[in-house]
Amino acid sequence: MSKFAPLEAFAPSGAADLQLLPLRFERLSAGRYLVTNIVGDFLVLARDDLDRIAALDLRPGDGLYEKAFSRHLIAPKGRVGQLQLLALRLRSRMAFLREPTPLHLFVVTLRCEHSCPYCQVSRRSTDRGLYDMDESTAMRALNIALSAPPSSLKLEFQGGEPLLNFDLIKKIVLAAKERGPRRGKQLEFVITTNLALLTDSILAFCKDNGVLLSTSLDGPADLHNRNRPRPGGNSHELAVEGIRRAQEFLGRDRIGALMTTAEASLERPEEIIDEYVRLGLDGIFLRPLSPYGFAVKTKWIKGYDAARWLAFYRRGLRYILNLNKRGTHFPEFHAAMLMQRLLTDRPLGYVDLRSPSGAGLGALVYNYDGKVFASDEGRMLAEMGDRTFELGDVSADDYHSLVLSDRLVDLVGKSLTQCAPQCSSCAFEPHCGADPVYHHATQGDALGIKPLSDFCARQKGILALLIDLLDNSPDDAAVLRRWVAP
Amino acid sequence: MTPLPLSGQATMTSGFNAPGRFVLRLRDPRNTSNPGHNDAALVRSMDDAAVAMANGFTTSVVVGSALLADDEPRTPRVARFAERFGYFGEGDVIGLDAHSRRFRSLYRRNSEHNSFLVTERCNHYCLMCSQPPRDIDDSWILDEIAEAIPLIDPSTVSIGFTGGEPLLEWERFVPLLAMAGVRLPKTEIHVLTNGRGFAQPAIASAWASLANPRLCAGIPIYSAVDVRHDYIVQARGAFDETVLGVLRLKDKGQRVEIRLVLHALTAPDLVETCAWMARNLPFVDHVALMGLENTGFAIANDGLLWIDPFDYRDALTQGVSILSAAGLRVSIYNVPLCLLDSSAWPFAVRSISDWKNAFPPACDPCQERGRCGGFFSTGRPRYSDRIRPFLTKALP
Amino acid sequence: MPAVTVVFDQNTQALGPLQEAAYRLIGVAACQIEQADTSFTCTLHPQAGSAGDLEALRLRFLDIVTDENLRAKVSAETEGVRNVVLALAFGALARAQAAPQVEQGKGE
Repeated sequence: MSKFAPLEAFAPSGAADLQLLPLRFERLSAGRYLVTNIVGDFLVLARDDLDRIAALDLRPGDGLYEKAFSRHLIAPKGRVGQLQLLALRLRSRMAFLREPTPLHLFVVTLRCEHSCPYCQVSRRSTDRGLYDMDESTAMRALNIALSAPPSSLKLEFQGGEPLLNFDLIKKIVLAAKERGPRRGKQLEFVITTNLALLTDSILAFCKDNGVLLSTSLDGPADLHNRNRPRPGGNSHELAVEGIRRAQEFLGRDRIGALMTTAEASLERPEEIIDEYVRLGLDGIFLRPLSPYGFAVKTKWIKGYDAARWLAFYRRGLRYILNLNKRGTHFPEFHAAMLMQRLLTDRPLGYVDLRSPSGAGLGALVYNYDGKVFASDEGRMLAEMGDRTFELGDVSADDYHSLVLSDRLVDLVGKSLTQCAPQCSSCAFEPHCGADPVYHHATQGDALGIKPLSDFCARQKGILALLIDLLDNSPDDAAVLRRWVAP
Repeated sequence: MTPLPLSGQATMTSGFNAPGRFVLRLRDPRNTSNPGHNDAALVRSMDDAAVAMANGFTTSVVVGSALLADDEPRTPRVARFAERFGYFGEGDVIGLDAHSRRFRSLYRRNSEHNSFLVTERCNHYCLMCSQPPRDIDDSWILDEIAEAIPLIDPSTVSIGFTGGEPLLEWERFVPLLAMAGVRLPKTEIHVLTNGRGFAQPAIASAWASLANPRLCAGIPIYSAVDVRHDYIVQARGAFDETVLGVLRLKDKGQRVEIRLVLHALTAPDLVETCAWMARNLPFVDHVALMGLENTGFAIANDGLLWIDPFDYRDALTQGVSILSAAGLRVSIYNVPLCLLDSSAWPFAVRSISDWKNAFPPACDPCQERGRCGGFFSTGRPRYSDRIRPFLTKALP
Repeated sequence: MPAVTVVFDQNTQALGPLQEAAYRLIGVAACQIEQADTSFTCTLHPQAGSAGDLEALRLRFLDIVTDENLRAKVSAETEGVRNVVLALAFGALARAQAAPQVEQGKGE
């Protein structure tokens, strides 16, 4: 007769048969802990359960063994399957290293007709000449960009207001489209513009050459105009008109908008979101204000700190989740990105939340004067006299000398979260990233003391919020999961 | 897929002189101008007999009783089958044992579910096994399959290999697959295996060397928890080796399907298992969630395994949703549509072999019978109380 | 300036976790750790502007020390297997870079 063994016959005989796998934990609230493994699988547990796992006091059938095993917090001794699985997943999560510098920003001019107080670019007059990138610089920069290893590259045009030097943008795009395919590159183009100077012929060029537009929209008119003073005071009106024209002519998916959060925004997240929805934009990125450039000079950022911003974010996310639950697909992009980190091992294209940092390794910024920077924020610091993130010059350097420069390697190495105090033992670290520019700007040090870092407080706050929703709010969790595109 | 146990005993054979087994492809004598030595004319009438002789067949299979013994074709080899085997047709392949006169169907040309049992030996002892293992020397089966494969119609859409555990004899089995790949270059080949063999680099390499883009390994993983999986397959260390095997195969770019049988031991943590697969194995080519066939060991373990599919409906819906949201291809097999949530219908596949499918009387008025997976007729069919016919069309 | 003192027995408390706990409290309290014969004395000076309750600070520090002790234990126990996973993860990469003709396959 067939003899079948019971479940117990396949269980480990005790703690001696088990081993603990690398795990980290953070206290979320009294008695509640977030536990993560080496690839970021997460679990929320009571302290007692965490202690039991750490002591390997587990038995199949007690519920905790099952949770700990399936999240790779424990493994049977002497077995290799889970270790190979973790190794594979770790490689997948780090696979962005195989595609370094997919993003290249061209600052085609420093000129701008707005004078936004938080702007990281100095005010300049609209006189031509000194503050436009010239063609030879542009072509050298393009050559460096096309030397980057990935077969898919994104070229982004910035400023000032880049449309003030649209002729150069045209030249770069056309040259790139000619040279790119010869070097095996597929290219994407984006212009980040306030849209005030949009013309039909600019739109036509964008359409013919597949150029995307990205603009700023801080919310309803009074909020937006306050942030973005312009002679005539009609920045919002022009932005809205520009968005509509671009949507109609290029297509809804060819124009996006980004917001920045000012003190005045903090009490009005719903109105800002409503404005985005009203204009048919496909989602919103609720961003904090970055502490660079003009904002620091004018003390504009003293307006708020991490706790206040998190309160704003929570309100905004709640409003957006409810909107989605009523049938409108409208992601909050920061949450969507973090969801991809939390639920999958697919590396993100977003260069600003990575360790090793995306500075230099994720993006290169070619300034109007030929100087090359590790990030846009790094460029802005240089405008204030701090050239820590300046890597070189297009006339003297090539791709390798920029990316492998001692300066960049040092900055990236110093800021690795994998090695940093507190980061290296932080449960959120697999879903976080290094921001050497932020920490340098706020603390004078690329690594930063994380207990003092608003960046850290914000990251922990958002991740804890998302994990809480995933665990405790099935309807919200369903929406959040939909935002992660396979 | 399980093998066709269509078998019987020839009422008479003559001319099959050597002891041993013979593989025959049945042919319509009128259509075949140049029959090979393995081709057997299907003879039902005196005309058939005449044509068979005229066209040079060396073997005839006489079906039914329309022909008197005296009128049988005088081909060197003749076998006679009873009328109930009259469904055999052009292109079907059978294996005949000369000594016992027993024969079995190896391949049916107009079936969508041809499968070859490679061995009954297995290193697992699954609680719900539909093909309980036997520790015997059945290595002759591989010889028989090797003879049958060249006789198979190359336009066959798919064939399967199953067991037991096919990889136990991998040194003979893999070359057999190579031959199948050459003879049937357009045919999908699906091998059911516990995948543990692939944990060994030599076996994974040999498999990968087949370089057949139509080859797929169907590998069961029953839980995200090693102890539960090992318990269900009754083998310690199974989960670990199976996972390793899957990783090695995928590292070599081979196609892998993960299979999970739905029953009372897999249903309670089904959502967790699907979430684990979505998180840990998002790169597999397909996930098959399968209703239980109540045959073999499943009958002996009925008390452990039986669950009304209606009771795991919510978990199944959620599991499918998690897997497909992660970009995995998912299918549900062997669960009737009326027991599934409507959101799961797009994933439900009609898959029970035609010869095994049996709808209970309750299903007579159902408008979706044609789309439904139906019910296993093998073993001891056990039906949910919640079966309800669709009185109007329900599927889009 | 008010301060609170917590004393630990060296036989039951290691220095490392105390230092880690002190690090976590940067911005909330400055922590001074002194070593005597068999004890560690931690003096916590709340930062200007952080909420006043000294007892709450003491309890919070104790909680953090408990956490850091567990972190130290887990880290020590799992360091070996962590290195194995890292070697499996990136050793393959190193091999692949050394022999670029080896196919990576669809492992990721």
